[in-house]
Amino acid sequence: MANVSLVHLKKQFGQSVAVSDFSLEIADGELVSFLGPSGCGKTTTLRMIAGFIDPTAGRILIGGTDVTALPVHQRNTGMVFQRYALFPHMTVAQNVSFGLEMRKVGAQERDRRIELALDMVRMTEYKDRYPRQLSGGQQQRVAIARALAIEPKVFLLDEPLSNLDAKLRLEVREEIRALQQRLGLTTIFVTHDQEEALAISDRMAIMHDGKVQQVGRPDDLYERPENFFVAEFLGKMNFFSGVCVGPGQFKTVDGLVLKVDGMSEGTKRIGVRPERVELSSVPAYENSVPVTVQSSAYLGSFVDVVLTGPGQQRLSCQVPNTAAVSPSETFVVGQSLTMNFKASDCVVFNEEGRA
Amino acid sequence: MSSVSLSDNRQARLGISLAFPSSLVVFCIIMVPIVLMFRYSFNFHDPVHLMREGFTFENYVKFFSDSYYRGVFFDTVKVAAICTVLALLLGFPVAYFLAKTQSRHKSLLIILLVFPLMVGNVVRAAGWMVVLGNAGAVNALLMWLGAIAQPIKLLYTPLAVVIGTTAVVLPYMILTLQSVLEGIDFAVEEAAQNLGANMFTTFCRIVLPIAAPGVAAGTMLVFILCMNAYATPVLLGGSGITMMAPSLYGQIAKASNWTFGSSMALILVIATMLIALSANWLIHRRYVKTMAS
Repeated sequence: MANVSLVHLKKQFGQSVAVSDFSLEIADGELVSFLGPSGCGKTTTLRMIAGFIDPTAGRILIGGTDVTALPVHQRNTGMVFQRYALFPHMTVAQNVSFGLEMRKVGAQERDRRIELALDMVRMTEYKDRYPRQLSGGQQQRVAIARALAIEPKVFLLDEPLSNLDAKLRLEVREEIRALQQRLGLTTIFVTHDQEEALAISDRMAIMHDGKVQQVGRPDDLYERPENFFVAEFLGKMNFFSGVCVGPGQFKTVDGLVLKVDGMSEGTKRIGVRPERVELSSVPAYENSVPVTVQSSAYLGSFVDVVLTGPGQQRLSCQVPNTAAVSPSETFVVGQSLTMNFKASDCVVFNEEGRA
Repeated sequence: MSSVSLSDNRQARLGISLAFPSSLVVFCIIMVPIVLMFRYSFNFHDPVHLMREGFTFENYVKFFSDSYYRGVFFDTVKVAAICTVLALLLGFPVAYFLAKTQSRHKSLLIILLVFPLMVGNVVRAAGWMVVLGNAGAVNALLMWLGAIAQPIKLLYTPLAVVIGTTAVVLPYMILTLQSVLEGIDFAVEEAAQNLGANMFTTFCRIVLPIAAPGVAAGTMLVFILCMNAYATPVLLGGSGITMMAPSLYGQIAKASNWTFGSSMALILVIATMLIALSANWLIHRRYVKTMAS
């Protein structure tokens, strides 16, 4: 395994910029996911690392070696594709064998490594089957074994779970993470599913419009989003626009004065996560905002309540399903409540914008 | 359970009633003449009464014992094989390009491909005569360039037949290949390269085997068309090369030897089928075996 450096990577298709100035250091054995909406440039970046796309500018280093000019087949990356891309005319064992044959690995050593790779993904007993005889999850496991059998320097996964159903997705995800940690694989994982990214990553890079918005540990990104896009993309957030009117004092456009930690002169907006607010009939904590219940959805482990704030803005609150009350009966449409939250649970933003 | 079999039954009945009219037509206009011809080929030739009822192998014996007709037969197989291979080699890259292209002009390209099929073989052969004749475009160009002093003989040679026939069958080959290549998920090419295969290895070990059913179908179709070519060999081959279809037409229409003509026709049909099917079987055994079942 090896570390990966992306140095001012840029890709332009005609006039449209797919990736602009992407720099990132990925440590040996680290799993970094690229997360973003479709068209954000995450797959383009992955494909540049694999060598399928030539960057317009910038360099890619794998293990300290500049591979920017190397063709795909000399880069020694192991890639797993969204639609598996198994060779339909080869058995499972032949699929895994292909990369080893390309590396001129001797027959005995090859058999050993095929065995090893298939064992890793628990597919040994299927080695003589053809891909079409396997389920989606099994096919993706074979694809993983095929990519890892060549002992690549970097393990690249392009939305590997998006074609699987919900239960399998979880299973294969855990399997990928376990393998990655056991083998110490330097891994880049592309996904548009935030839960997937949060669960699996050491660090994640959130991308939007070809630009990296923020890179960091999952909890860092969720708790301390640096900009509005990250805050809105990762989970939900309730926003209040306004200005800083004194130390720890934020005055919203509706005239409410809120107590907020970590504010600066330039703060234009604050946010608070729906699971960090509480609904009650009487004010509590430092901040209370009068709200009206608009609708509520019972989602099992919590109730998602949609509220209207003082400026008619849409707010939301996640009320955990505790045994104390029946949450579905607690919220009546049109009911007036207060939304309470702590100053320390607020996130501050310096940019103006929508919402 | 019973409702399932009932609907299966209805499905089957519907299938039969849909297929019946065309089956009847095919039987009457194709099978009956072939069976008649088969019968004629065992009759005795009679210059006065055209033929005499009977049962003899003399027509077949005559064909295989006469070196002229053996030559016609082998020339036909040779030309058909060369044209088929040429069509495959020329057609594959085009079909591959068409299958992979994201161009919005793709349907236009396919229409352009079908376009030659709207012009009859005779007209196209006439076009080649203009190009290949002694005073034709190729000779004129070569003489103008000073490459040759006298026109070289291109028309009425086997080469002219090969060029003309390949041009006729090429669109069929490309369309057949393209329809199969269209079904390939080209991510497999990327997977192969990612695993360390260069483009050539990727083509030989991944693309070609997956495309084998298309190659088999296209090869078979084109070979059959080439073996049975009539207008192109007559107009471009002239006296330089004689192929089976023009030759057997001559026996029936000009020499009035129906029995011998019939035997030639059957030899052509059977040989075409045997060669085409065995080539198909070989390709399938080599590549497709693993894909079936």
